Amino acid sequence: MMNVADTNPGYFAKPLHELSSVLVPLLKGVLYREDNPGLWGLLQKLQASVRDYVAVLGLELMLDEAEGYAFLRSRRDDEEDAPVAIPRLVARRQLSYPVSLLLALLRKKLAEFDAGGGDTRLILSRDEVVELVRIFLPAGSNEVKLIDQVDATLNKIAELGFIRRLRGQGQMIEVRRIIKAFVDAQWLADFDKRLAEYRQQIAEPPEETDV
Amino acid sequence: MALDYATLELLRQNHPAWRLLCAHHAPLVAGFLHRVFIVPNVRNLPQADLVEALEDELFALREQLGDEAFPGSAQSYLNDWAENDKGWLRKFYPAGTDEPHFDLTPATEKALVWLEGLTERAFVGTESRLLTLFELLRQMSEGSQTDPQVRIAELHKRRSDIDAEIARILAGDIPLLDDTGLKDRFQQFLQLARELLTDFREVEHNFRTLDRRVRERIALWDGSKGALLEEIMGERDAIADSDQGKSFRAFWDFLMSQSRQEELSRLLEQVLSLPPILAMCPESRLQRVHYDWLEAGEHTQRTVAKLSEQLRRFLDDQAWLENRRIMDILHSIENNALAVREAVPSGGFTTLSETSATVELPLERPLYRPPLKTLITEMALDEGDADVDTAALYAQVVVDRAELTRNIRQELQGRSQISLAEVVTRHPLRHGLAELVAYLQLAGEWPETVVDDEVQEKVSWQLGTGVMRQATLPRIILLRN
Repeated sequence: MMNVADTNPGYFAKPLHELSSVLVPLLKGVLYREDNPGLWGLLQKLQASVRDYVAVLGLELMLDEAEGYAFLRSRRDDEEDAPVAIPRLVARRQLSYPVSLLLALLRKKLAEFDAGGGDTRLILSRDEVVELVRIFLPAGSNEVKLIDQVDATLNKIAELGFIRRLRGQGQMIEVRRIIKAFVDAQWLADFDKRLAEYRQQIAEPPEETDV
Repeated sequence: MALDYATLELLRQNHPAWRLLCAHHAPLVAGFLHRVFIVPNVRNLPQADLVEALEDELFALREQLGDEAFPGSAQSYLNDWAENDKGWLRKFYPAGTDEPHFDLTPATEKALVWLEGLTERAFVGTESRLLTLFELLRQMSEGSQTDPQVRIAELHKRRSDIDAEIARILAGDIPLLDDTGLKDRFQQFLQLARELLTDFREVEHNFRTLDRRVRERIALWDGSKGALLEEIMGERDAIADSDQGKSFRAFWDFLMSQSRQEELSRLLEQVLSLPPILAMCPESRLQRVHYDWLEAGEHTQRTVAKLSEQLRRFLDDQAWLENRRIMDILHSIENNALAVREAVPSGGFTTLSETSATVELPLERPLYRPPLKTLITEMALDEGDADVDTAALYAQVVVDRAELTRNIRQELQGRSQISLAEVVTRHPLRHGLAELVAYLQLAGEWPETVVDDEVQEKVSWQLGTGVMRQATLPRIILLRN
């Protein structure tokens, strides 16, 4: 691994305020091309400097041209030989089971939706979301309670930034395409593994591992 | 297509156009959709505008037919017409807006055209169509002729025809079309011009179908990965390379040239001013029919570009393979989730990176401040017996936000931006400050606004007592979405 001190920081070659105007919003959250085309253009121009700069902070820039979003992510710690583990700037958040499950289901919906063609914006009503999770909840749950629970879960996911509620359209949500970058095959595989372990635990009597 | 009993039976059950003609409310549906989409040549309408137009229509009809006619609300009718079992409207969300938009489906348009054709025509021109057919045949036979001798002979023949005509005109013999010939051709021109406009929706629909078919084929792929990638590479330009794509492109290139548009404008103007044509009272829109084509073509062009881009994105092999893997994993997740549904795990179950970095600087934290003690003077509350006019409590006004939104939209129909003060000038405030505050609230929720603190604007209104009030606020500019 290259020592950080040896790299020649190219990011001072650029006017500093330009770099700041891209970096600060990036540190604060996802940058969407459609929200701010000007800033997006600047980010493309300064991409290399931004990458150099955030590398110092132990972050990497994820930029998806096709989907039109960019965000920062903690570098995967493949280099375990780093003398000191740097504390993570991008926190990892604990998600409850209902939130995890609904995230997975929404990701599935997006994959199916993309295979259907025609449109890029996946928009669902709350009722459709309820139908999505219904079969994974104990049978005979009270309908009102179920809807409230789905609402609360959706609020959590909105807080994470993966869905947004449509303005003025009661109970409609848009699944933001950024979900693809976070709820990826790796994350889903981890979730599946954990779920399988949990299933083992609660299975009584404890069985031999089944396939 | 063979029109046998079984085919027709299926069509009657499944084809939206036939369903429309059979529908109980057919006159309402067809009449309304024709008025709002076809007549002004509109290709997408926001839900709010459409609901408003339908409310008016329903109101007028109830005036005539009694209150119990058409029990539903405009919104529910629209949603019903856009459902799959009807398929008369396409409901979609354009990029950058949270409001659903509607457009006609090609099937609806076919039904409407058929209904229009039910009225009898004064006369049916046959000559011009025969000439058109002849011309088409000639183009095909010439265009496929590979023998240079034959082609040159044909061109020579035409040259001598043109020479003969020039000689005739020089000699003072100018052949003119008679009135019947003019009317005949004009009628055909009208029909073709309309059909062309109608076809665009179908063209777009075909593109969408094409897109879906490619995606389906890829999604259901069960061959090897290598063969799949080959397939994907081959499909990248599936839309642009189809017959539909090529034909549309040729049309577009032809129409896009500045000189052609000028020529079209000139010819249209000249033809529409001929006395026999004037006598037929053509619609004034015809003057600009080629702009309508352009607009419709541009809409289709945008759709095609978007579809091609999405298809490429979908076929991006990495994303594609990831999607397949995701579907497999999800299958397993669903299976496990079903098994544990009677005892779902509690507490934190998974972790996920946040989408932003958490930067908390010690100096950003506010310093300690002793909390303010609220002093409460102790005093007993006595019941008052003052004689106060309580009328104000009952004279509450209700500001209709929907109406204010309509005002803003209406002003933005004719231009791309307007300042709030101008909106208020054109629609004077009736509820004073409350209404102004509602406007400000709407401006805050408006998708695109610009606030200019440098410029102060004044808004004034008259109170019920006749007193004029005035408020000063920074210039707020509302932009069209």
